[in-house]
Amino acid sequence: MNRPSLQATRATAFSALDFRAKLAVFLAVTVAAVAWNDPRLSLGLAAATLGACLYAGISRGYLWLTARLMAPFFLLLLLTHGFFNVQYVLRLTGHARLTPLFSLPGGLPIVGGMVFSEEGFYYGLNVIAKSTTLLLLVPLCVFTTDPNNLVVGLVRLRIPYTLAFAFTSTLRFFPLLFEETGFVIEAQRLRGFAAEDLGLVARVRTYAKVAVPVILGALFKAQQVEVVLQSRGFSGRRGRTYLHESRLDGASVGTIAACVLLVGAVLALRLWTSFGAFVLPGDSSGLAR
Amino acid sequence: MPEAPAARLESVSFSYPLGERPALLNVTLEIGAGEVVGLVGATGAGKTTLCLAFNGIVPQLYGGRFFGRAEAGGLDTVDHPIHELARHVGIVLQDPESQLVTASVENEVAFALENLGVPPAEIRRRVDEALASVELDGLARKHPHELSGGQQQRLALATALAQRPRLIVLDEPTAQLDPRASADVFRLVRAISRERGTAFVVASHAAEELARTAGRLAVLSRGRLVAMGTPEEVYRDTALLSRERIRPPGVTAAFVAFRAAGLTRLPPPVLLEEGLGALAGLPPGRPYAVPLAARGRDAPPVLAARHVSFTYPDGTRALDDVDVSIGRGEYVALLGPNGSGKSTLLRLFLHLLNPSAGRIEVEGRDVAARRVTDLARTIGYVSQNPDRQIFNPTVESEVAFSLLPLRLGPAERASRVERALSALGLLGLRGAHPLALSKGDRARVVIAAVLVMEPAILVFDEPTIGQDEAGARSILDVTRGLHREGRTVVVVTHHLHLMPDYAERVLIMGRGRVLSDTSLRVAYHSTELLRANHLEPPPAALLARALHPENWALTPAELVASLEPAAPAPSP
Repeated sequence: MNRPSLQATRATAFSALDFRAKLAVFLAVTVAAVAWNDPRLSLGLAAATLGACLYAGISRGYLWLTARLMAPFFLLLLLTHGFFNVQYVLRLTGHARLTPLFSLPGGLPIVGGMVFSEEGFYYGLNVIAKSTTLLLLVPLCVFTTDPNNLVVGLVRLRIPYTLAFAFTSTLRFFPLLFEETGFVIEAQRLRGFAAEDLGLVARVRTYAKVAVPVILGALFKAQQVEVVLQSRGFSGRRGRTYLHESRLDGASVGTIAACVLLVGAVLALRLWTSFGAFVLPGDSSGLAR
Repeated sequence: MPEAPAARLESVSFSYPLGERPALLNVTLEIGAGEVVGLVGATGAGKTTLCLAFNGIVPQLYGGRFFGRAEAGGLDTVDHPIHELARHVGIVLQDPESQLVTASVENEVAFALENLGVPPAEIRRRVDEALASVELDGLARKHPHELSGGQQQRLALATALAQRPRLIVLDEPTAQLDPRASADVFRLVRAISRERGTAFVVASHAAEELARTAGRLAVLSRGRLVAMGTPEEVYRDTALLSRERIRPPGVTAAFVAFRAAGLTRLPPPVLLEEGLGALAGLPPGRPYAVPLAARGRDAPPVLAARHVSFTYPDGTRALDDVDVSIGRGEYVALLGPNGSGKSTLLRLFLHLLNPSAGRIEVEGRDVAARRVTDLARTIGYVSQNPDRQIFNPTVESEVAFSLLPLRLGPAERASRVERALSALGLLGLRGAHPLALSKGDRARVVIAAVLVMEPAILVFDEPTIGQDEAGARSILDVTRGLHREGRTVVVVTHHLHLMPDYAERVLIMGRGRVLSDTSLRVAYHSTELLRANHLEPPPAALLARALHPENWALTPAELVASLEPAAPAPSP
């Protein structure tokens, strides 16, 4: 009996780390992602994070779904920076004018004659890479942690138990919601509803009907969970104990130390050298911004 | 000095916030220490509400109006918070999966103890002890969702047990389990009650198990406690059972029929072994009936699996060289334990899955080339959870939804909807919101919504789960009507006792194979095969076999006929 789950599919050295060590990784990589504007570094960091996700056993289905959901936003980012981000990119590069990659035909209404710049394109790539890194850090750190250890780790960080439990319950709830949606869409197909045969409006209207049973199902399940939790003495009051105490082992302590050093190095290099500044590929004269 | 009761209700009445009538009305009930009390009654009688009143969930979580006084472990359930009452009352609900809130078996058991502030060393001890009690030791590190339904329900029992409450309340704990898993749960209830002195309240339709387990039965009807007595007293009261739509154990029903026919004066037993022992006082047994050939076996096949195997992506081999066909106009019951491959076979017929090997045919055509949505016009499918098949705001629009893809003219469309509503007795409810109806009526709406497409084949997946006897029979009566119209009907079920009046042919599945394909009569008398596959043979069949090795009776009426001096054998 298998249930859809977001949890990583295999145990690795990374998943064995204490949640606090993973949180340190999360913070350190976030600092690097935010600090670096060099598209090569940003893309490298995103690729490394993706590699770490695959190594840690994050579901390829989840990664693919994330990519599909984010693709339109990333395209929008690229277009926005390519066409409109002029002043900021000029300031970053120190150039007097931007290098046009292509321009839209002048006859087009409103957007006719707009220029898509090379610098804007690379800055857009940089932003997309940063976003990707931040998006991938969440599953890397959260989905590789047993929800119970997540709760214990958060409580150790002085997050109230009720909040920590609500957080992990939400993680559990989303796969259930997806599962329920899948069941309902399947039920519609078994009633002869072929989405591919309908026009866009009819399709959207019919899919909207899925919301009714899914929301009702989710509400029913939420109420059931509430009954179960209350019946098992869940109240979020003080004095709760834990079967498994959270203890930092050597690997976790080492990881936290490495993360502290990484944050220090990234900030120092960024503040006092041009390392990480926005630079076009092949252009060694980029300014340290 | 007698021990204080585990729980006590005094003149308890309760109405839900939007309830039209009280869910509980003037209920007075005391649960003694170590006692097992069964709650019986038709769907909607108030069993679940009463279960939730023992630990304060009703009224504290639901609100509503509550009158009277309820105590658990000496604490008033209104004045004390639920988490405090959790020390005294554990609860196990119907759906095993909905009760799982953590990611490992041991954490599941530990959860309540952690909330109650029990020291870690003591938690460890109690977790090990509770898991051993429900025979789940060795699975402590597993994810609860990796367990079978029966194991999950035993895990839920362990979580309640670890709290060491004086009372554990079980609300329909075995409704979704196969008979073997169900028997395991009741066996544990008996053992725990006996060995630990824990009291239990068990709401259930499982008459045979309640008769074996409960010391007293409380009969609820529209929120009132209308009768209370030992299982013998309650199950022998035929007027009460008939009035309250309660099914007695099969053996009791058989002996009630014997008494009515003047074949015995013995009070009807409630346990099978008592019934078998009492057969000596009946007239001598003799051969009765012969196996009837299933009708339609020579009819052209409309569903066929040709040497089909199926393996899920995780490596689970669900079907192994299944070769079976179902003829036009047959009524087939598909039996087997959980995990035997029944649902996988259905999903292959519906083309929701593709076989790993072999070929699936519907009306003689390979389904590989057909879309699920096209097949839906040939095979109507009713799932065990009707709520997932309801999307529309009225019964009428729900039924009409199925016709959207068919692009029919308005007159034809209206005519089909009218016919489907009429066939299912829903004309008076056409304007109602489907989700406001009872579960039985919701199932009817879904059947009507499937029927409106006029499929030649209808497949029902566990249609009687969660229904009382009357509700289950009313759904099966619909399937019989459809069958009589010439449609092919396939019903997957664990409820063997219901099927003799409906199915002709039985497929018994186990470990991904078809183990038996025969008439219902022969299948129900294959007691060894049924038991080997977690299915409990109907008591009437066991009594018949004990009367004579060639007695093929299946129902109390047939048993009576088999004992009457001049009983003619039914023709083949």
